Amino acid sequence: MAQIFRRSADWLLKLVVAGGVLAVVAVALAWRGYVASQPPMGQPVKQPVPFSHKHHVKEVGLDCRYCHTAVETSSYAGIPPTTTCMTCHSQLFRTAPMLAPVRRSLAEGRSLGWNRVHLLADFVYFDHSIHLHQGVGCVTCHGPVDEMQLTYRAEPLTMRWCLECHREPERHLRPREHVFDMDWKPPRDQLSLGRELVARYGIDTSRLADCSVCHR
Amino acid sequence: MTLATTQNHHRMEVDTPLRTLTLADYRRQREAPRREPPLPSLYPAVPRQGQAWGMSIDLGACIGCGACTVACQAENNIPVVGREEVKRGREMHWIRIDRYFVGPSENPRFLFQPVPCMHCENAPCEVVCPVAATVHDSEGLNLQVYNRCVGTRFCSNNCPYKVRRFNFLEYAGGKDESIQAQRNPQVTVRQRGVMEKCTYCLQRINAARIQARTTGRELRDGDVITACQGACPTRAIVFGDLNLVDSAVARAVSSPRSYALLRELGTRPRTTYLSRVSNPRDDGAGEDR
Repeated sequence: MAQIFRRSADWLLKLVVAGGVLAVVAVALAWRGYVASQPPMGQPVKQPVPFSHKHHVKEVGLDCRYCHTAVETSSYAGIPPTTTCMTCHSQLFRTAPMLAPVRRSLAEGRSLGWNRVHLLADFVYFDHSIHLHQGVGCVTCHGPVDEMQLTYRAEPLTMRWCLECHREPERHLRPREHVFDMDWKPPRDQLSLGRELVARYGIDTSRLADCSVCHR
Repeated sequence: MTLATTQNHHRMEVDTPLRTLTLADYRRQREAPRREPPLPSLYPAVPRQGQAWGMSIDLGACIGCGACTVACQAENNIPVVGREEVKRGREMHWIRIDRYFVGPSENPRFLFQPVPCMHCENAPCEVVCPVAATVHDSEGLNLQVYNRCVGTRFCSNNCPYKVRRFNFLEYAGGKDESIQAQRNPQVTVRQRGVMEKCTYCLQRINAARIQARTTGRELRDGDVITACQGACPTRAIVFGDLNLVDSAVARAVSSPRSYALLRELGTRPRTTYLSRVSNPRDDGAGEDR
């Protein structure tokens, strides 16, 4: 009896299998991109006004809390209302075309629609106030904001990244009075400082990696 | 037409889930407390460090009104499943009220028992989960990690108290703005195909802890009030830290009326009950004299 398949059918089969594998990988990658909760790291997010943290923080010298007022008392840091912008910009750069959306926002009584740069998944319950209180600086998670011409995400904000600190907080803590300090640099013996802070602030490291700390 | 009722959906294999004491019994026990020795266990003892959350439910006070069930539903984004699904036994309530009849069938007495998750120290649900979606945290809470759950439902089968609920369909509903506004933003909205159950209002525990820490003090008794506890008109439910000496729940647990449901299974539940005390007439006609 003659062979059912010719020799070349072998290649065809290999091609089909390889094509199938490639298709699965392509679909998986596309899906991953589609469900990604965050804009890409290190790339500025498009905003209605090209707001520069570098200008406002480094050059003008505003404190974080001037705009992000709720950061010490609430889970959210808070996005300032247009009136906060207008405390200065009703006097300065009054006709700058760049600020037209801000003036329109005030005139129409409608909030500026800022786009989120740091977006956590819905089942993560992050709280700003407790992190500041226990000595986690703004820079630790948000990167050198005072150097950012346009704001981008500086850290991955993945669960693995969060856990790195939750398992060993002593590597990242700083004294409470320096949490808003943009220029604070960890001392050479950060570990011993960190251990002292863990003890002083009463941080219970045994339960920091429990699921229930961030998920509910 | 069948009536859509939940009453017989979650039966426990137990003879006397609801214990009652006569006044004479109670007095005897108070004079000479009979402490049942702890049951042997193959599992290592669960250490009780820090906070050890526990709940005590007074069956003498419970009037079976169902306010706890409704409060829990509002607090924890528990979906309403509708009549057809209730008839299939798929209601999602995290705390149910069991009803028992005592006495002559023509004029029985009604007794009620609210049953939330027991947060067992030796939890039977945890050992059967193939993906570690239900685990203990260091404070003794039995957690359900929705993102790990693959929906095998082994945990629910192995739960002797029948307090776990499976999200068979997309009960949480659509993305209408009106529904989104109704939800509690502090609690995950569960998707289809995952198991869920009472969390002891974890969001309230965390909020109270953060509040205490940022204002520079320790957690006090009464800082955490669960939704069911807050809604109970007869204050039958108390919740708190079992490790805290003289907390309301620690006092309740040390009462001679206190007992653990299905104690003989050795699950060491953190939710316990206070038995109902009655004072029956000698001729057996009626409960109290």
